[in-house]
Amino acid sequence: MRETKKSGNGERGERGNGDMDGDEKRGRGFARKKVCRFCADKNARVDYKDQATLKYFVTERGKIIPRRISGNCAKHQRSVAKAIKQARGLALIPYLVLQG
Amino acid sequence: MTEAVKSAAKLREYETVFLVKPDLTDDAVEKLKERIRGIVNRDGGKFLRFTIWGKKKTMYPVAKQPRAIYVHAHYLGGSALVAEIERNLRNFDEVSRFLSKRLAEDIDPETRQPQEDLKLAGDVDDNKPFGGAEREDFGRDEFGADDFGGDVA
Repeated sequence: MRETKKSGNGERGERGNGDMDGDEKRGRGFARKKVCRFCADKNARVDYKDQATLKYFVTERGKIIPRRISGNCAKHQRSVAKAIKQARGLALIPYLVLQG
Repeated sequence: MTEAVKSAAKLREYETVFLVKPDLTDDAVEKLKERIRGIVNRDGGKFLRFTIWGKKKTMYPVAKQPRAIYVHAHYLGGSALVAEIERNLRNFDEVSRFLSKRLAEDIDPETRQPQEDLKLAGDVDDNKPFGGAEREDFGRDEFGADDFGGDVA
């Protein structure tokens, strides 16, 4: 009985350390540097008619991807969000994708 | 005075996209185009170009139809002209939706010449979303967003 208790504690301790390492890695900037693609490429324009570009900024479910994920700057995120909403109104992009 | 004359000569550039019922014939679409063109010319605007995107599959049923004919109108004019076009589009039974957008301010009509109307093929593959332009690494893979929550997966 005692032995099993000890081994249980040991496992818990190891798991705890593993989680801390993972958190540190995440916090220390191993993430890719995100760049606003519209600022990087001066010729790129936000256009509600351009479904091919807009689909990079919506999830499979049809929701707008936040800028902390997409890397857009605030100005271009506003215009992307507006364009997505306009494209939804014209049925070029879905409001919602129901998944089975 | 000269300033006022100059500003009166300048127009704004607009575009209007509207959805037409898919069972409409080419002749009926042509008639619709001519009516819009007539309104623009009558109200002091300048019509530049019509582009028919063709019959496309819509992402959700519009007017109880899974497809629609998309028509894009590009013209110069004032805000009253846009209001007049939209009022007419609302009255046309064949038109189910429309969206007007201002593209540029202070355009000299002499610098823009009317172009020949375009007609595109429409959807190549109707069965795929986004008109068959589906991409493999869709959504979170692009941005490496593994902490995005349950909505993505």
